[in-house]
Amino acid sequence: MATATETLPAAQTHERWHPTVTGWLARIVVLLVLLGGLLLVTAIVPQFWADRISLAVIYAIIGLSLNIVLGYVGQVSLGHHGFVGIAAFVAAYYATEKAGCAPEVGCDVTTFFVSLLFAAASGAIAAGILGLVALRIKGLYLALITLAYGFMAETSIFEISALTRGGAGMPAARPDGFTSDRAFAFLCFAFLAVVVYVDWRLIKSKVGRAILSLKHSEPVASSYGINVTAYKVYAFTLSGLFAGLGGGLFAFRATNVVSNDFNFATALLWVLMVVIGGLGNRTGVIIGSAFFALFPFLFELIKPLEHYVRDTLGREPGFFAIVLGALLAILTIVQYPGGIAQQLSPITRWLRGERFSMHPEGHGRHRRAGHGLKARLRSRHTPGAAAEAESGSEDHDEPEGLAPAESPELAAETERMAAAITTTTESAEDASEGTDASEGKPAPARKRTRSRKASS
Amino acid sequence: MRTAVVVGVIAALIGAVLIAGAGDEASPNPYVVIGLVNGAAYGLIALGLVLVYKGARVFNFAQGEFGTLAAFIVYVLIEQVQGTEIPYGIAVLVAVVGVTIVGLLMERIVVRPLLNAPRITVLVATIAFTLLAVGVQVLLFLPEAKNLPGAISAVDAEGTPRGPEIFDYIIEPQQLLIVGVLGALAVILGYFFSKTDLGLAVLATSQDAFATRVVGIGVERMSRFIWGSAAFLGAVAGVLFIPVNLALAPGVMTSNALIPSFTGAVIGGITSLPGAFVGGITVGVIQQLAGWASQNYHFGETALQELIPGFPSVALVVVLLLVLLARPQGLLGTEA
Repeated sequence: MATATETLPAAQTHERWHPTVTGWLARIVVLLVLLGGLLLVTAIVPQFWADRISLAVIYAIIGLSLNIVLGYVGQVSLGHHGFVGIAAFVAAYYATEKAGCAPEVGCDVTTFFVSLLFAAASGAIAAGILGLVALRIKGLYLALITLAYGFMAETSIFEISALTRGGAGMPAARPDGFTSDRAFAFLCFAFLAVVVYVDWRLIKSKVGRAILSLKHSEPVASSYGINVTAYKVYAFTLSGLFAGLGGGLFAFRATNVVSNDFNFATALLWVLMVVIGGLGNRTGVIIGSAFFALFPFLFELIKPLEHYVRDTLGREPGFFAIVLGALLAILTIVQYPGGIAQQLSPITRWLRGERFSMHPEGHGRHRRAGHGLKARLRSRHTPGAAAEAESGSEDHDEPEGLAPAESPELAAETERMAAAITTTTESAEDASEGTDASEGKPAPARKRTRSRKASS
Repeated sequence: MRTAVVVGVIAALIGAVLIAGAGDEASPNPYVVIGLVNGAAYGLIALGLVLVYKGARVFNFAQGEFGTLAAFIVYVLIEQVQGTEIPYGIAVLVAVVGVTIVGLLMERIVVRPLLNAPRITVLVATIAFTLLAVGVQVLLFLPEAKNLPGAISAVDAEGTPRGPEIFDYIIEPQQLLIVGVLGALAVILGYFFSKTDLGLAVLATSQDAFATRVVGIGVERMSRFIWGSAAFLGAVAGVLFIPVNLALAPGVMTSNALIPSFTGAVIGGITSLPGAFVGGITVGVIQQLAGWASQNYHFGETALQELIPGFPSVALVVVLLLVLLARPQGLLGTEA
């Protein structure tokens, strides 16, 4: 009865689900309301809150800068306070010492932009040098080097009195037209928009894909002709550029830069805010960074609590930020490696034009992993399995370790890489299996047991 | 063999500096002696770092904070407990046991769930733990410097300094204690890892957790043991080091001793226990000699101090970089 050859059913192509026109309109409206609301809040809150919002925006820029190293390349930088601090002092130095800006005289906008340019360049150079060192030193040792680098900046560079004017600090007058806290906050928003755009375009480009591939396996990346060292230095330099920009804005926000602002504890807090935000996820990192910048001030919104903390306990509300941040970080690392981004992913995915679902992992492109030849073959014998495969797997519900929470680009890249590797060595049938294996999950096995249950 | 050669060479170099500087007005000798003593403390912390690296293949950024926590416990017991006078020894014992328990808790809550996670994740987790410890200290004790007395007072009843004088420098009894404890611990740990079954089991776990489990060694038990002893070593280091060198403030060991200790551990070889000893002392001496040089060397009119502020830390970073670039496995390590 059995024929020698068996005709397989035609491959089912799953059309990607698209929202209707109304659906798109709803998404655009929600997005505009969110962004507009943010700007509106900045426009109507008191000036000192606008100042804090600008701090949150600067933190977001620094967070995105750190995200390149931490989230994309997968290295730990404990020396970011070095880059940010150097850039802040360079900006203040240029504006005050070279261009003659002072709080009484003011500062013209051109000078402001030039000093920001210098700040970004100095951050990029400082980080580029570190990146060059990173050519030979890998993994955990690199974390040590960045730590030592930050330590050196803190104890040596920040002590050069010509640059930092010792403990009194280097003044940095805000540019004309942006002297008010509110105007400066809007300026910071503009810079954040630029950074987000550059970051987004970068990751979509060939360079971005190359950088993302470094995190998973450098040998695999280099076997694909990716110049590992060059892209690493590139990523570090870009991270330093953003950090430098953040540092420059930091200087003009504070209007007086003191070296105490940039210490080791700050660098640790920055690492934590990126981890809590969600590694490799822009939205998550921005929210996480803003949260850490604003948290110490949130007590002020609840007056009785603030009085209790300040007067009865005699503690600064900021102290709680450290404890809470650390607790959140431990919780994130141990229980929810995706961070804030993972919690928000139903919303962000909906905004990106997908169906709203609390289990977004099952509806994305990952689903295709379960639709390989094997899944289809299985579905012919076990009716339950088809539905099982259809509803998607839980393969990606628990990203391993510090895996980025929600990075379809990354997942696609891995998928492509793993598929290419397995197909060269094994049969095409195993390609889907290889994809799952590359994610470190024994997913196919799990699915099989479940389908057996379904058929019995 | 190599250990003997390296120790001999470093001892000879330090000896040469001491002899060359003897009798000079601006002699570096007191600096060298301070460096040796500080280095012993760095070595003590580096021992803990090496232990965790050997056992868990991760850099433990919380190692310094174990010390600060222990010092704070001692401080609370002897300075803030009203009514009864608590003997110093008891306070230290409580602190060391308490911090060891903290280390075990950290292992259970933070490290154990990450047993199979990438090592860099565990590293970030130890950073988070460090920040948590610093935050709790700030909340409880405010960011103010406090003075923690040592186990043995540096001056006797008449106010004259106690302790032997070596090369124009009077070594405090507490400093001698640090050197002695470090030496004893290095020997004990060295014996433990090369001769005892438990030590070999710990090493096996670090190399291949799965294979270790297959032959019937409990990986969790090993992990618990490693982090418990690391916390113990950190606590001992903190209780001994803070009274002589630092004012007690939140995070003081992390900001002052952790980076030199890491440098020491890497110079000596992050997998080598005698290496931690040698590296710690080397770093202590380099740091102090750089401090001496920055005060005594002049380029024309400007002193090195003004030319390069914070020269000791620059020297430290340069040495760390050179070692990592030229010999990543360190002086006595066997693998990078």
